[in-house]
Amino acid sequence: MSERAPTGTHSSEASFTERRRSWQRAYRAQLQRTRMKRAAGSRALRQRIAQEAAPVTTAWANGRAWVNDHSKLTYPVIGVVVIAIAALLPLLGDFVDLPTELEQATSGSVLARVMLFALFALGLNVVVGFAGLLDLGYVAFWLMGSYTAAILTGAQSYSRQIQGGASFGDVQEPEFQMWMWLILFIALGVAVLTGIALGSPTLRLRGDYLAIVTLGFGEILRITANNLTGVTGGPRGVTSIPHPAIQVGDVEIIWGTLLDTKYYWLLLGLVVLWIIAIRMLDQSRIGRAWVAIREDEVAAASMGVPVVRMKLAAFAIGACTAGVGGVIYAEQVNFINPPTFSLIQSILILAMVVLGGMGSITGSIVGAAALVIIPDALLRGQDEYRFFLFGLVLVVVMIFRPQGLVPSKRRKAELVGGEGDSPLAEA
Amino acid sequence: MDFVTNCAADVADQFWAQTRNGLTLGSIYAMIALGYTMVYGVLQLINFAHSEVFMVSTVAALYAIPFFGVTEGDPATGLSAVLIFIAVLVCCMLASGLVALLLERLAYRPLRKRGAPRLSFLISAIGASLFIQYLFVLMDGEHYLFPIRGIADPLGMPLMIIGLALAVVAGGLLLAGVRRGEAGWVDAGTLTGFGGLAALIAGLVFVVKLPDILGPTPQSVPELFATSTVFTLLGTPISNKRLLVVVVTVIMLVILDNFVRKTRMGRGIRAVAQDPQAASLMGVNINRVIVVTFLVGGLMAGAAGLLYQTVLSAPAFWFIGFRPGIKAFVAAVLGGIGNIRGAILGGLLLGLVEAYAVPCIGTQWIDVTAFVVLVIVLLFRPTGILGEQAGG
Repeated sequence: MSERAPTGTHSSEASFTERRRSWQRAYRAQLQRTRMKRAAGSRALRQRIAQEAAPVTTAWANGRAWVNDHSKLTYPVIGVVVIAIAALLPLLGDFVDLPTELEQATSGSVLARVMLFALFALGLNVVVGFAGLLDLGYVAFWLMGSYTAAILTGAQSYSRQIQGGASFGDVQEPEFQMWMWLILFIALGVAVLTGIALGSPTLRLRGDYLAIVTLGFGEILRITANNLTGVTGGPRGVTSIPHPAIQVGDVEIIWGTLLDTKYYWLLLGLVVLWIIAIRMLDQSRIGRAWVAIREDEVAAASMGVPVVRMKLAAFAIGACTAGVGGVIYAEQVNFINPPTFSLIQSILILAMVVLGGMGSITGSIVGAAALVIIPDALLRGQDEYRFFLFGLVLVVVMIFRPQGLVPSKRRKAELVGGEGDSPLAEA
Repeated sequence: MDFVTNCAADVADQFWAQTRNGLTLGSIYAMIALGYTMVYGVLQLINFAHSEVFMVSTVAALYAIPFFGVTEGDPATGLSAVLIFIAVLVCCMLASGLVALLLERLAYRPLRKRGAPRLSFLISAIGASLFIQYLFVLMDGEHYLFPIRGIADPLGMPLMIIGLALAVVAGGLLLAGVRRGEAGWVDAGTLTGFGGLAALIAGLVFVVKLPDILGPTPQSVPELFATSTVFTLLGTPISNKRLLVVVVTVIMLVILDNFVRKTRMGRGIRAVAQDPQAASLMGVNINRVIVVTFLVGGLMAGAAGLLYQTVLSAPAFWFIGFRPGIKAFVAAVLGGIGNIRGAILGGLLLGLVEAYAVPCIGTQWIDVTAFVVLVIVLLFRPTGILGEQAGG
């Protein structure tokens, strides 16, 4: 308390400014002391907790080490168990009496939405999380996938004739069930081509500019879909997109309606496929190239990483994911129109990636699950609340947990250890 | 070729009228673009939420215009119209300025303190933008944020009184804390102060019945004064509203230019834009410079919002900021981001390009023009027409 501010005793001839300065000095010193005291206290508490929980944490660490040591055996087993649990989740309500909210959350339709958005988040994660390119127009590739399905199945011409006043008996309703699988691949190709067409001129741009250009691209595609009535059906959208089916001999699987749980299994299968593919990519030469580009583009280029080609690859992979998701979406919902693909959807998917943790595969799925289930099951799907919460989540996560809920190890190290590239970091 | 010749004929036909439209719209873009470009100059950050700062101005107009006695179908005339316009302009500018300050404080400064990577700023900005938009959607008084209006209304006065009392207590605590040099007292004072402020604002919100502030549907704003033709130039009638836009823009830009070039704070802004570390070593208070930059950008966007609303008779709507915002950003990039004169040039150019495009491709395609211009500019001259230039 030696630095206690001189107050009343201070000589009256000292000017007010000087006295104020001395108060401020004393205040800062005191603040520093208080903060150090608090920090010491919390450190002690943390040590105490670590001590008490030591048996549990060591057991956990040993277990993890064992699992990691035997990864050839344990990883596939864990994977299969997780997939099996995920696949059986929608049946849970049939066997166990669940509270309404939980039953809602585990219903096939909600889970199918989770998986759809998990697919999108996985794709965007490659672009944003792995390669570090902020894409605000991701919905454009979803749009390409959905409209490819709508046009190739004939649903577009059918719904135009119906809207034009043709009676239902006169025109043949599209029945392309088996072809849907082919269309999946065509849409994948179309989305990749779109991604390359967008990427090749723009990927040389710096991060912020790229974000705006991709945003503009998404808007251009949406406006085009709205205005090119002859090709896309215009603002009235496309109806009667057929559901897929498999008919081989006696085996017949038909995806029936919007609420069909089979959609969930289909999407789950795709997500699993994608996780395996993306993991392999991430651990390959390409994945390392992406990390290098994300960390320092100039250094990467000078070490011989083909920067533009690698960025294009990330873009193409993100795009094809959205294209495939778009086809399944169009088939499941049967109806698409331009407002479905507004900017807000891009931001929603970005929110999932950011919330889960950029660059983390598990994170993308957790993010998608959180941002679909919470509003769908608990808020009963009021979109206004949903977007309000997304905004809040984005800001708060960026401030308090920039690495996300399930951070990727690489990115976490980078965020904790780095100084950040903002020139005003210390200001 | 048919398209080109038809297009040229159409443009030639409406040349002066479209020039007039382009210049008015371009002035508004320029004013919004200033906010983007100044913040970018100082922070290297695209303030994505700037379009919401603009949107808030139209909401402020929705409330300020009836407050000064102008109602739907009963526009003001003569001197009173001028005075009311100035008063409303001040309200709108203050509202937008306040939102810009809050944004800086709540969405950007915490990140800056933590030295977050640049991507985080952009994502935080998007989040803040979404948050503000849907805050207005939810505040419709009946369904969403305030479903219990019957209970909320009588709470207004008590809340305000509690807020005032807390503010007084906070003041006392702060004063005593500073005098004694006790950090704990100051912390308590700050906390109480924030509590008091929150209670005061909540009370104000309940008393003025701000809960039905916007809601999900567009709200039409009363017309401030009637449209009339002031004079005819080159066969094109110029309305008083369009004249007003140009006059206000010119005044604002002159003030801004003088502020940035001649005052101490303006010099600080230019210094930080050039080299933040050197500026801070030379005794420039960077935090203050950043706050002032956001404030100036917000004030400009506030003026632009009212002018946009007046000229286009636009409704107050939570989503109205998106298009002007994105186009103003395009304008800022077009002129060279970080460059104040570039933003003005870019705004006017973009306004003209859009206006000349209208007769060719029709209004439904007009939004595509801005993005196409953006992509072309970024491809061939990524630093914009006048080049990226710090502050100046």
